[in-house]
Amino acid sequence: MARKGRGLGRFLLRYVLTVLAAVVALMFFLPFFWMVSSAFRPAEEIFAFLSPLSPYALIPKTLTLENFAQLFGGRLGRNVFNSVLITVLTVTIGLVICSAAAFALSVLRFPFRSAVFAVVVVSFLIPFDAIAIPLADTFRTLGLQNTYAGLVLPAIGDGLAIFVLRQFFMGIPQEMKEAARVDGAGWWTIFWRIYAPLSKPALIGAGLILFLGQWQAYLWPLLIITEPSMQVAPVALSQFVGQYEFNFGALFAGATVVSLIPAVILLSLQPYFVRSVSSQGLKE
Amino acid sequence: MTDAKTPPRRTKRRRFDSFDRGEVLAALLFLAPALVALALFRIVPAASALVTSLKNSVVLVGVSSSFAGLDNYKTLLTSSEFWGSVKTTLLFVAIVVPAQTAAALALAVLLTQKIPLARAWRLFLFLPFSVPLGISPLIWGAALRPDGIVNSALVAAGIGTQPFFTSPTQALPSIMLVVSWIGVGYWMVFLIAGLQDIPNTYLEAAAIDGANWWHRFWHIVLPLMRRPLAFVLVANTVANFILFAPIQVLTGGGPRRSTNLIMFDAYQNAFVVGDRATASAQVVILLIIMLSIVILQFRLLSADGRA
Repeated sequence: MARKGRGLGRFLLRYVLTVLAAVVALMFFLPFFWMVSSAFRPAEEIFAFLSPLSPYALIPKTLTLENFAQLFGGRLGRNVFNSVLITVLTVTIGLVICSAAAFALSVLRFPFRSAVFAVVVVSFLIPFDAIAIPLADTFRTLGLQNTYAGLVLPAIGDGLAIFVLRQFFMGIPQEMKEAARVDGAGWWTIFWRIYAPLSKPALIGAGLILFLGQWQAYLWPLLIITEPSMQVAPVALSQFVGQYEFNFGALFAGATVVSLIPAVILLSLQPYFVRSVSSQGLKE
Repeated sequence: MTDAKTPPRRTKRRRFDSFDRGEVLAALLFLAPALVALALFRIVPAASALVTSLKNSVVLVGVSSSFAGLDNYKTLLTSSEFWGSVKTTLLFVAIVVPAQTAAALALAVLLTQKIPLARAWRLFLFLPFSVPLGISPLIWGAALRPDGIVNSALVAAGIGTQPFFTSPTQALPSIMLVVSWIGVGYWMVFLIAGLQDIPNTYLEAAAIDGANWWHRFWHIVLPLMRRPLAFVLVANTVANFILFAPIQVLTGGGPRRSTNLIMFDAYQNAFVVGDRATASAQVVILLIIMLSIVILQFRLLSADGRA
């Protein structure tokens, strides 16, 4: 950042900073590594090698896939499927309805536009978990308990996703819309053929918001799902702890599966997410 | 759908007949699905929590609950157990949010310096966030068991076994450790994006003027980081006020109510005790405390400087 280095002093500072970064990063990485490595070792080895502590506590002595076999042989395979299915549904439906609303709020002119936008902002200031308890009662009376619809519906309308998309749409020049209108294009065509293709970064950002909201959900599935085969993977895994068939090997295998899916998605799309939420999203 | 012209100058107050009817209809259709979803799944339940909190908390079977005014709030505000959970929640937020934000900022600054493998270190810090919130407490629960890997490392280091989640004094700090492991790398990513937006020329100019590292950080970097810092502070505050999964998985509010955060207590009241009215009143109080603190944070961050 600064000008030229001052020889030894600079070199030492860089050395110290590198060591510091490596030590902190490895400390954060260690529990993750332990989770993944425990998934690939025989269950009885997970808590072996602890007294006295040996390197084998972290590094598997024998590699095996038996934990994954056990996991997918049991109910948890179904739970992982549930998680993937409801997340795909949430992101797809959510993106369509949120970007349509964002399009209306940024491009179309209609009465009470700012009042409608205020409702969107208020809705994302109320954290979903805080209203999950009364909403769960309503869903139960409507018979949405133990259904995919019950898991997907509350997640598709997301105020933050609408907000992020609206900010992006506002940056697209009005001339494009006007030219298309002159050519006789309908609003849906303008939205679908002009705005949506131009807004890839914002759509990815909003998609990740919807994805994380659903994949990270814990309280809502816990409240609305009582039938074990309908449960999502994270909640099913936590309920699996303490059951008679429980073993730590399968727990770590399940944890690895449900963590690696978002890890891959987040790491490949992370720049879009950060840009759209922190920079675009907060500019007024 | 015929009039494509837009008036050259936009007047602030437009009369209704100046709107294109086709456009208004289109807007209604575009907005309807999302607005219905927001109304039904966000706003109506928030209103219903408020209404439920004003109903009688003792519901006999077959007797419909009646209006009780502010009785539930009075009962809560005179209950030492509720005040205990308010204090625990505030203590938790007051420690976790500044600590995480400061750590995230320090790491963001560290990992934007020219050091080898900076991208790999960032990735390592971010990975914990990809573990779902219901799962990371399970991993930590296994690691911090009395006979777990962390204790065996502590014994090897000569410190000796620690009780962690089973001790009233260590349980809350242990929860803080777990949520910080999840959160610090996540918030760091937003602050790194903010730091990268600062034009390098600013810092170079200051360096030529002889400003040392601390001066550059304090007078140039920090003021320019107000927006991403405000985002991290507010979002982190909200996330920790409604924290639920780690408590439910790891401690169940104990031992001796030492980790009984309001959100968990409300859940217990609603689904274990079956007292929806008290649970709703707790959630309303939680939202009021949280929103006042968030508004205060916004005020402080916009008041203490121009830009």
